[in-house]
Amino acid sequence: MTLSALSYNPQTAKSFIDEVIERSHQNLYACYQCRRCASGCTVGEETGITPDYLIRLVTLGDRDAAVDNALVWQCVSCYTCGTRCPNNIQSGRITETLKKMSREEDVIPLNPNIAYFHDAFVQGCTRWGRVNEMEFMGYYELKNIGKHMLSFQFRKAYEEIASQIKLGRSMFKQKRLHLKLHTSRGRKEVKQFYKIAVKKKASLKKERRSQIKNRQE
Amino acid sequence: MEVAYYPGCSLHQSSQFYDLQTKRIFSELGTKIVEINDWSCCGATSAGKFDDFLAVALPSRNLGIAENAGFTEMLIPCSGCYSSHLMAKTRLRSNETLRSDINAELAFPVKNTIKLLTILELLLEAAKQGKFESKITRQLKGLKPASYYGCMTRFAYDVPVSDNVENPQGMEKILDMLGAETMDWSYKTACCGASAAINDSETAMNLMGKIMKNAVHSGFNCIVTTCPMCQLNLDAYQNTYCNKFGIYERLPVYFITELIGVAMGIPLEELNAHRHFIDTLGLVKELNLI
Repeated sequence: MTLSALSYNPQTAKSFIDEVIERSHQNLYACYQCRRCASGCTVGEETGITPDYLIRLVTLGDRDAAVDNALVWQCVSCYTCGTRCPNNIQSGRITETLKKMSREEDVIPLNPNIAYFHDAFVQGCTRWGRVNEMEFMGYYELKNIGKHMLSFQFRKAYEEIASQIKLGRSMFKQKRLHLKLHTSRGRKEVKQFYKIAVKKKASLKKERRSQIKNRQE
Repeated sequence: MEVAYYPGCSLHQSSQFYDLQTKRIFSELGTKIVEINDWSCCGATSAGKFDDFLAVALPSRNLGIAENAGFTEMLIPCSGCYSSHLMAKTRLRSNETLRSDINAELAFPVKNTIKLLTILELLLEAAKQGKFESKITRQLKGLKPASYYGCMTRFAYDVPVSDNVENPQGMEKILDMLGAETMDWSYKTACCGASAAINDSETAMNLMGKIMKNAVHSGFNCIVTTCPMCQLNLDAYQNTYCNKFGIYERLPVYFITELIGVAMGIPLEELNAHRHFIDTLGLVKELNLI
């Protein structure tokens, strides 16, 4: 895959890289583009973009490209990049941070399923204190299939349903599906954590929106 | 000494038999593991993608419960749970305000003193104390297991992990002791794609196809793992990714506890080891191990 030339934006570069450093706890200034992370990247072949390129985008202040690319969403969080980095930069944490930033900016993910999945998982586990595989998969599929239906992609919706039924049936045969609801008695605490997180996210989103508005004015 | 035990959601659901096997094997070895009271989900990798605070707070609750019950060590067999608890411990150590924010909500505040153990660490500890010798009744002759660690246990987040991050050897040490024929291979710490199998299936199938190709070419006749996610992925989707990559062979994907069970002479049915998608009993029968 060929990548287009990068452009440097002196107005935003410093503030953007500092924001990413603060939120990801990774020192991006230490990156000297040796590309050891790139050679270790599990999904590099699929995405065409590797962690080194992502760090470069952040360093040069190209915010739009950094929050909206295949690697941010397709990163499987295997943290191989981090174990290889000579400067101890965990790029996996950077993709996680950029994922959150892209949600705050209302960027539609290149692969929305991945966002639906993680949302369904977090909501499921904070609702009951424990994850119920059947329940959260149900929520995820509703959203996923609903998206296909709304965009009139009935074939895709059908394929999705068929493949999930196939997996579900074979899991049921092996007695690996459980219908009992698993809960934790202390889920109030967990719910409270979720509330704090949602509140924080809302305020970050608001802040970001006003930033964009100011810049436009 | 008693060790706290955190099973995690998947060991109570789709990989319930791994929970059963873990308890059985450690009771045979005489290591006492006690499930912690009213644990909750650790948030896996999803919490980190949702919010940073949540990713630390969810595992902290479990750490607090275990510490409050007086444990100094906690066994976490699931690699995903292990990695998120380890990450939480690191963040808590470096950020005092975060710890007090989290403790404000918790019934059992976290002190961050507990040591986390993977299942391999605890098994190796038992081996060091010579607990295996009297229990092993047969050698796993003819079994060539590919030791597949997956990506989560070699997770090095400024924390010294017990094994080499690039070329771990813990599983090989145990399998050698059981008489199996271990060999080197290239994909032992590769990632299986984890949740991508559901939400980004093409990527995950490519990743698993590469792992399988290398395992088959290296001459292994089965795969061994300690992670319930890796086991489920490599097992349940094996026909899909093997067909995609034109691989004819199918390899059973065992949990390490199952092979220890075979070596101890425990009937595999008792360990529920037949609950795999790719047949697990055929190979051990063929090699006259049971």
